[in-house]
Amino acid sequence: MRLFVSALRKLSRRLATYLTFGLLAGLLALIIVAVAASGGRGQNGNGPANPLAIVTFPGAFDLILSFILGLGGLFAVVYGAAIAGSEWTWGTLKTVVARGESRSRYVVATFAAIAVVAGVGLLVSFGIGVVAAALGATIAKVPLDGIGNADALGRLPEHFLRGWVAIVMEGSIGFAIATLARSQLAGIGAGIAFYFGESFASLFLPDVVKYLPFNLANAAVGSGGGFGGGGGGAAAASTPLSADLALLLVAAWLIGSIVVAAGFTERAEITG
Amino acid sequence: MTAELALATRALTKSYGSRRALDGLDLTVPTGVVYGFLGPNGAGKTTTMRLLTGLLRPDSGTIEMLGRPFSRSDRRRLFDVGALVESPSFYPYLSGRENLRALASAGAKTPRGRVDEVLEIVGLRDRAGDKVSRYSLGMKQRLGIAGALLSDPQLLLLDEPANGLDPAGIVAMRETLRHLAAIGKTVFVSSHLLAEVQQLADVVGIIAAGRLVREGSMKELLAGEGVVRVRVAPEEVAAAATALAGLVPSDHVMASSAEPGWLTVQIAPDRTAEVNRTLANASIYAAGLESGNDLEELFLSLTHDPSAVDPDGTFAGMAGRSTTEIN
Repeated sequence: MRLFVSALRKLSRRLATYLTFGLLAGLLALIIVAVAASGGRGQNGNGPANPLAIVTFPGAFDLILSFILGLGGLFAVVYGAAIAGSEWTWGTLKTVVARGESRSRYVVATFAAIAVVAGVGLLVSFGIGVVAAALGATIAKVPLDGIGNADALGRLPEHFLRGWVAIVMEGSIGFAIATLARSQLAGIGAGIAFYFGESFASLFLPDVVKYLPFNLANAAVGSGGGFGGGGGGAAAASTPLSADLALLLVAAWLIGSIVVAAGFTERAEITG
Repeated sequence: MTAELALATRALTKSYGSRRALDGLDLTVPTGVVYGFLGPNGAGKTTTMRLLTGLLRPDSGTIEMLGRPFSRSDRRRLFDVGALVESPSFYPYLSGRENLRALASAGAKTPRGRVDEVLEIVGLRDRAGDKVSRYSLGMKQRLGIAGALLSDPQLLLLDEPANGLDPAGIVAMRETLRHLAAIGKTVFVSSHLLAEVQQLADVVGIIAAGRLVREGSMKELLAGEGVVRVRVAPEEVAAAATALAGLVPSDHVMASSAEPGWLTVQIAPDRTAEVNRTLANASIYAAGLESGNDLEELFLSLTHDPSAVDPDGTFAGMAGRSTTEIN
């Protein structure tokens, strides 16, 4: 518990935390307001049927969440890699190990703190998105009647939970990669490459790629790439997995990543 | 190994690929002393530190720490050990105090108030609220020492602790470490600052090419390792060496290649007059004579020829060697 609280405190003081979630929320708000201000003009046929759907409640709730989970996946990979990699790059892991701390416990506690921060970031980003959508709706003169829709609001907790697990899993991928790379920069670079590589591979191997992390994340929240979704919505669209099966596989990737990171750290010879 | 030892290694080996960093290291560190661990760059000092703190696994050999065998799986033994390995490592975006609090959350439980105590000890209390990214090298070093002191350890392992410290900081560090030894704690200091170690350490171990080449109390080592340096005309160096070979064994006389005309004679400093007389009898008149028994001479003479390991010159050699291996 001491380790977990300390890890949370460290993340709360870290610029990367605010930069990651600030960028995500900022982009979301900017796009929503821009779409609303343009009144939906400039549609090229690839986006939603009605561009103003993102400021039209109650459907806007799902679209905002879909956007956050899509772009947030990439941000989660980068964030997870940044946190894990810096422990090696800065040598702080070395100091902790030399104090007799359990390596695997330290890794798990650090990741648990990332998971909590990701949950908070998800909630805050969603809140900012809803406010921006309401503002956009006002600008675009779209009625706000649906904002209190009980059905839509009732579905939100489950969507949040699924989205949170998916985002945390994506963060764990970056976390594990950076741990294996023992480097912040290498971890971030490899994480981004994995994210886009999976997206690219889904064009050729959709039936395989649908089991890979970012496609599974989309499938688990039922976004299939959705509004701004990343990581290869194409595969999910070709032969989609059920959301529940995808969630199960997301959990497997999550646990697997942490086991790999902890196992590697436990066995690693720390020379830096 | 006995219970009075704070730390002992036997036949410790470690290789990085094909390069052997430690080659059967036998250290014997008594309790309640400042132990100076000396060696040239690449001799294996930092590798030893990493092995002692569980960062690395030895290829073979044993480590005994605070009276019991230690291996990497026995991490709780490190609760009684404070360590500063290589350069101090901190989160740059946190303050000094926050870094120590983060460190205190790992390993042994640290009493409330201990963070401020150690900040006071290392003289950083006034700057404890500043971000570490704004610290100078010396301040980071002080913070690293503070981190090592956090759990009030029985055994302190410090790798080059004087790095970056200003003269006042070095003096303060020396006094702190001497005080810790005086109250029964053991301080193991790796360094290449020979003059500093000479002032600080009670016991010295010298490592070269991964092996311990000499170990003993500072007093004993320096008593037996005096030198006299002689300056003669450069063209008389060979004749002087021949003449001095009548006084000491010929391999105790070395001509300096860096300083033409200088010879170093391994002989007790109180026999300087004999050296002078021997030269005069050979009609060679010394232009300069220096005598001393400083650690630098001993260090250089030992580390220039690391193959000349004298097992009887180490505690382990005297006590006998253990060949027990760990995997």
